[in-house]
Amino acid sequence: MPDRYLQVVEPSDNVATALRELEAGETVTVGVGDEERTVEVVDDVEFGHKIAIEEIADGDTIVKYGKSIGNATEDIPAGTWVHVHNVESNYGRGDLADESEAATISE
Amino acid sequence: MSEFLGYEREDGSVGIRNHTVIVSTAPYANDTVERAADIVEDAIPITHPLGRCQTKPDVFQTYRTLLGYATHPNTYGAVVVAHAGEIVDGDELAADVAETGRPSASINIHEEKGVMNALDATVDAAQEMAIEASAQRRVPADMSKLTFGINCATSDTTSGLCQHKATAGAVWRLIDDHGGRGCFAETPEFFGGENELSERAVNDEVRQEILDRVEHWDERLQATGYDVRGAQPTPDNMDGGLTTIEEKSLGALVKSGDGPIQDIVDYGAKIPDGSGMYIMDTPGHGAESVTGIGAGGAHFMVISTGQGHTLSNAVMPTIKITGNPNSAERVPEETDVDVSEALVGDEDFDWATDQLWDEIEDVVNGKMTMSEALGESQFAIHRIGPST
Repeated sequence: MPDRYLQVVEPSDNVATALRELEAGETVTVGVGDEERTVEVVDDVEFGHKIAIEEIADGDTIVKYGKSIGNATEDIPAGTWVHVHNVESNYGRGDLADESEAATISE
Repeated sequence: MSEFLGYEREDGSVGIRNHTVIVSTAPYANDTVERAADIVEDAIPITHPLGRCQTKPDVFQTYRTLLGYATHPNTYGAVVVAHAGEIVDGDELAADVAETGRPSASINIHEEKGVMNALDATVDAAQEMAIEASAQRRVPADMSKLTFGINCATSDTTSGLCQHKATAGAVWRLIDDHGGRGCFAETPEFFGGENELSERAVNDEVRQEILDRVEHWDERLQATGYDVRGAQPTPDNMDGGLTTIEEKSLGALVKSGDGPIQDIVDYGAKIPDGSGMYIMDTPGHGAESVTGIGAGGAHFMVISTGQGHTLSNAVMPTIKITGNPNSAERVPEETDVDVSEALVGDEDFDWATDQLWDEIEDVVNGKMTMSEALGESQFAIHRIGPST
């Protein structure tokens, strides 16, 4: 039986949302579409946070709702907590804009 | 129920509340407005830091937003308080209110020879309106008159998985079953889902407009030279498990359902009378987006929250729904409807929609929301450019 407290929205997602607190070391079964996948939890994970349900390489797309929610900034093994420390957004990147076009704002 | 009991207005709209609003046109009238509203029962103060030293686009936006509240379906009448001659003109605003058939009054602090006389005149006018308003009876009105405002606040990962589904279920019940309309907003929170959202537009023109407005927001943000990650997701979003603006957006869009989008309107502009779903182009800043949707004439607002939020509006009652069982326990006074049983219990999303719909029926007929009972309200008009 897949753990109902680990929710995967679309079968193409590579992360699951924890609807309970997860402890490092526990083994969980995740429902992915019609299939099941077993993952060993690497980190303690708070309610509402995500874990990888497959190996994700540095630079790969993080997929939730069947869509990109950003890119991995390091290798993320299955079962690892996925959050702001290892994922970056691709939107509104003023920090990547051409410096000549970016407004100068004194810090 | 295909009818509700509301307050009829001469302009054809029907209110679910019968407020007297006291509107400041400039920061220098704010104190007089706040003091008068403290004195007069059920008078709502509308105060803000804008209305002067603004460029044209901001003047239009400020004026439109203030007029939206002064002529809101839930507004019986409006007292406009100006400081002196300002670019948002008090007499003009009061005259535009009167055009809708609502009682209106215009008070000018300079013309009254100071704040004491102005306060006296404001209280007099508001007191008279409040008494008249209290004598008006609710009458049966068709639910097609109702406009359902939607916003999310302190979202977390439960938002897109649960409470937004119930919200979408309820708004489409109003649209499909009763011929009403819905409005959602927060354009920067379309990032990552803008293509799918634009495909729901009723025609190519609206589809392109949605994409253009998203691109415009991305450009505005990039022009600051900073990364949007510094501002979105917000720290409370991240505590709740949201990692990027794309994840927040994809979850946020769940609350709009998957039906057709009729149009996208400017910040604070009137939401069209037609049946269906509309978008208002606002920032993701909750107080600003909710203020805009209220100005557009939404009768009530459903705030779909993950971690709980005080966000509310005095003129447009706000119903808070959460699907996070921890939040319902942690901030009970921010929870009108708890549907967490659909996420972690044995209930389904039809049940969750029913829970919200029942609450909506009660609130449109007069039941107070949590935030109304506490007198909670935030008002923040979005500004486009710098002050001059």
